[in-house]
Amino acid sequence: MKLPPFAYRAPESLEEGLELLAAGEGEARILAGGQSLIPMLALRLARPSLLIELRRVPGLAGVHEDGSGLRIGALTTELVAERDPRVRAASPLLFEALEFVGHPAIRSRGTVGGSLCHADPAAELPAAALVLGAELTARSLARGTRTIPARDFFLGPYTTALEFDEVVTEVRVPAPPSSQGSCYLEVSRRPGDFAMVGVAAAVVRGGDRVLDLRLALSGVGDRPRLLTRDELELEGQDSPEVLFGQAGRSVAARIRPPEDLHASAAYRRHLSRVLTERALRTAFERAALQGGAASA
Amino acid sequence: MPESELGARGPLPIRLEVNGEERGGDVEARTTLADFLRDQLGLTGTHLGCEHGVCGACTVLLDSLPTRSCLVLAASADGCRVETVEGLARDGQLSRLQRAMWDSHSFQCGFCTPGFLIQATALLAENPTPTEAEVRHALSGNLCRCTGYESIVRGVLAACAGPERSGAESK
Amino acid sequence: MRPRVPAERYTGASVRRVEDERLLTGRGTFVADAHLPGMLHAAFHRSPLPHARIVAVNTEAARRAPGVVAVFDGAEMTQMASPVAALGAAPGSGGPVSFGILAMDKVRLVGDPVALVVAESRALAEDACELIVVEYEELAPVVTVEQALDPSLPAIFEELGGNRLFGPEVKVFGDVDGAFARADRVVRASIHQHRHQNVPMEGRAILASFDASSGQLLVRASTQGVNTTRQMLAQQLRMPLDRVRVVAEDVGGSFGLKFGASREEAACCAASRALGQPVRWVEDRWENLTVSGQAREESFEVEAAVTASGLILGLRVQMVIDSGAYPGFAPLVVDIVREMIPGPYRLGALSFSSSGVVTNKASYVAYRGPWAAETFVRERIVDLVAQELGISALEVRLRNLATRDEPPLRMVTGPSLAGITARESLLRAAEIVDLARFQERQLRLRDEGRYLGVGFATYIEPAPGPRQEGGEGNTEQVRVELDRDGLLLVHTAQMPHGQSHRTTLAQVAADEFGARLEQVRVMVGDSQQTPEGFGTGGSRFAAMAGGAALHGARRLRGKVLEAAAQILDLAPTDLDIWRGELVGPGVPGGGLPLAELISRIDLAARSGQLPPGVDVDLTATEDFDGGESGWSGGTHCCVVEVDPDTGLVRILRYLVVEDCGDLINPAVVDGQIRGGVAQGVGAVLLERSAYDPEGQYLSATLMDYLLPTALDVPHIEIEHLSPVRLDPDVNFRGVGEGGMIAAPPTICNAIADALSPFGAKVLEQHLPPARILELIGATSA
Repeated sequence: MKLPPFAYRAPESLEEGLELLAAGEGEARILAGGQSLIPMLALRLARPSLLIELRRVPGLAGVHEDGSGLRIGALTTELVAERDPRVRAASPLLFEALEFVGHPAIRSRGTVGGSLCHADPAAELPAAALVLGAELTARSLARGTRTIPARDFFLGPYTTALEFDEVVTEVRVPAPPSSQGSCYLEVSRRPGDFAMVGVAAAVVRGGDRVLDLRLALSGVGDRPRLLTRDELELEGQDSPEVLFGQAGRSVAARIRPPEDLHASAAYRRHLSRVLTERALRTAFERAALQGGAASA
Repeated sequence: MPESELGARGPLPIRLEVNGEERGGDVEARTTLADFLRDQLGLTGTHLGCEHGVCGACTVLLDSLPTRSCLVLAASADGCRVETVEGLARDGQLSRLQRAMWDSHSFQCGFCTPGFLIQATALLAENPTPTEAEVRHALSGNLCRCTGYESIVRGVLAACAGPERSGAESK
Repeated sequence: MRPRVPAERYTGASVRRVEDERLLTGRGTFVADAHLPGMLHAAFHRSPLPHARIVAVNTEAARRAPGVVAVFDGAEMTQMASPVAALGAAPGSGGPVSFGILAMDKVRLVGDPVALVVAESRALAEDACELIVVEYEELAPVVTVEQALDPSLPAIFEELGGNRLFGPEVKVFGDVDGAFARADRVVRASIHQHRHQNVPMEGRAILASFDASSGQLLVRASTQGVNTTRQMLAQQLRMPLDRVRVVAEDVGGSFGLKFGASREEAACCAASRALGQPVRWVEDRWENLTVSGQAREESFEVEAAVTASGLILGLRVQMVIDSGAYPGFAPLVVDIVREMIPGPYRLGALSFSSSGVVTNKASYVAYRGPWAAETFVRERIVDLVAQELGISALEVRLRNLATRDEPPLRMVTGPSLAGITARESLLRAAEIVDLARFQERQLRLRDEGRYLGVGFATYIEPAPGPRQEGGEGNTEQVRVELDRDGLLLVHTAQMPHGQSHRTTLAQVAADEFGARLEQVRVMVGDSQQTPEGFGTGGSRFAAMAGGAALHGARRLRGKVLEAAAQILDLAPTDLDIWRGELVGPGVPGGGLPLAELISRIDLAARSGQLPPGVDVDLTATEDFDGGESGWSGGTHCCVVEVDPDTGLVRILRYLVVEDCGDLINPAVVDGQIRGGVAQGVGAVLLERSAYDPEGQYLSATLMDYLLPTALDVPHIEIEHLSPVRLDPDVNFRGVGEGGMIAAPPTICNAIADALSPFGAKVLEQHLPPARILELIGATSA
């Protein structure tokens, strides 16, 4: 199980990297942490002619915070992000999702940007990014810099809105409203495995009422989708418990989960309902602790 | 895309620090850090159990962090600091963890052993007094087919129980 | 004479392993760590199809690829070597069928080796494998037992005339019709055990090195026994035995997989012979999961004749085993399942029908407790009987378990039950787990929507089993010798691959001889000096090899004492060997180190100072059949909680009460038990060798074949029962297989108990979350 042959470059500047990527005409790939790409190479499921590693390019890793939220360099490892107290404080949902990613020895190399760009439908970070309203900064020689909202980014399994010559350089995570609580929950066959079903949920609370809610699920379709109150067609005035039950049923009715070795489609559908309810309930409870209960 | 224009498949010269020594070599672009350590440096203590990043047998410390050496290109480790199982004993003295694992009958066939030792070394460096749950969590990315893990977990806990013993002491 | 009090003995103490210092410092030597000058690397081009005719194989491009030294296709390999059936595929039990070392006319499973590439590196060999083009004519895949018995589907081996490998063969023990006539009720069930597999952390591996000048083939193998590997390689390579030497050093687990020599391993030896260069093959994980072998897929139709009070009078069993593609271990397994299915129970009548089929799946291999289906089926049926009759499962077990003092004293299938402690183990397990209190708690928690369950399984395992009456001695040989340094060399055909034999056999020999532990070297893994014996398996180590080492050390000690007595002019009875020195009143200096004693014996012998008849050949070879040791066994008990919303199962408690005789090294024994239980946890909750309906293998990575982790295996409590000692000297018994035999039924019984409020009936062994929800009706199947 050895990797197929490919060429390798580790340029010193982003411009040089972008030039290589463009010249590769779709046959070149960015090597970030490699925790998904290298297994695919080992199984000979991917055959890039050139791997471009940006580890020598300054400024692509690191967490920054300003009044509007977090800016996370695309090459920030999942471990660094998880351990950064600003991530935990400013984006508890992202923190919670990071803890479900693989194992520590995977997160020590795997990057936040790499996970989003890999767009595995069962991965945790894409679902979290959707619920958080994250935005990805993409750079290319041809188009310069553009910002892609997470909800426009994931197009299908392992497929994103990135053009072949584009690189994600940064992920912006806006600060959540103070009355928002969140929760990431998943059930996998073993701890550390990809989710059979994962649910990222955020609830904006006003007293005993739900003012808004957002959801995204991993493992239940070709890509994670953002599900809002409107998209779930939830009635407005019900008690939170009734609403969460409705949301669970609505999610279950809307998804077309895959069937595989680990779970049937029926199981994933069932679990989606159960976890949606559990995640929303937990998010609602947490919102109270963050002051949401007082702001009614 | 002709290979020569954009980059080379190899040989690529790399230099890195392995177990405190400067080492180097010419690698193919596709050579993993694990294969470089094993085939080019002769450090066969790092084992390959799956080559797709699941079993953890190949775990090494890369710039102090536990890392699957089958999922890192040797070229990516250029300029980095690597510690392998061969580097755990110093001057012929087993580390406290190695001694505790020996005392605890932690392992059976020994194939997964290097990965567990490295992962547990990293855990104890960060958290010198983990709970059993923390040990199990930290080791949950390493597979052992022989032991059922209990002896391994006990070995790690034994390594942090009580005061540090002198290097020469051993049951 | 000094008293040998237990505190002064190594046997019975958890002494540290002599294996560990190397393994803990990265100095183990597994086959992948071995390197020879000029060594080449092998990779196989393998079939992407489960069942197809080979029309043409084109290796031209591969032969020209960078770094490639040679490519061999099936036709070429046939000139170089011919396959033999794997261990257990006895003539007449489905064979002989013909096939090649590499596939020739047909491929019979995904991963079937079609061509061998030898290159300067494994990566280059893999590159070249991709350049091989094979033209296939696809055949309908035979994936299930039902398909194997369907005459409209093509035969995997034309000479079988279908896909039935053997059977149905019916054997009857006792008055079965009478038992069913007397029964108040017949409990029926179709019980299924799924396909799963060994997955040692080190896969198969071989380094073959043929020396053209001497005609000698030197093989570094990862094996459970060098003699069996040598035998099978010599046969496949058509070489005389004396030209093949097999050496094994560290072996990274096996659990039954690494017996003899596989087709791939033979092919690498043939390639080395043809090229005159060393060739190494290290199976990768895809190969290991896809083709190395799989185990356990067996289905059973069971009828139990029971009385209203829960006595099980008789069983009618029909077993079908799915042998996979190439004939192997299945027929042997069927024989043991039949014999063992009564277990420690007073079952009076058994009708047992067995059949085997071939399918386009990985070949059936031995896996830890290969016959474990007997315990699974029996222990599940016991619980189903209890459920149907409304009696507690504990009660049904107690009513049916045999005891040592009341007839019958043997199983209805023949073997003696002497020495069993099954009943004691069950009572003790129920006591430790405090069953009555647990059941109160269980009922209370059900009201809160929490579903706990408790399960038991009671079993015995031949370890190595009762002495065969009148039969040819099935023995294990150990040769004990003293070398000139005063080291005690203990040669055994046992081949440790995690079992710590280098430590435990040394403990036994050191105690018996009077040596210090560090003076004993256990010598394994070199066919040039390894005694006769097929290797490690069948729980032969503790009683048979342990006993042979004990008797060998005892005899050698006698020789040494007699010679010493002559030299020192003392009575042998005044002398002793203790901690590596000759001691006793009159011994000069109060103690004579062994090395010095040996040179004095040697000198005396050579200068003719010893009277004739004193044996100075300081070697003793002993064959031992295990004595009266017989059975290991016990009861496992498990408490689970099932989340009815997610189907997740949490093991809250796992308890083993067992009897494996006298413990040589308690830490080693406990490690064997826990390791076996962990594999059972995996079997029930995680592991499945799954194929899709087209015969494609779905579990080919460790992301798909799920081994349990440190978070999946619970703390395992162990209590050792005091054994019944029937042998004057040797009451050690094997302990490697029981954990894996008893854990699956124990966990399944616990889950079934937890699910009983839902009316769920558990008839299978694999219970992942999705299946649990189907069983309770939360999702449709």
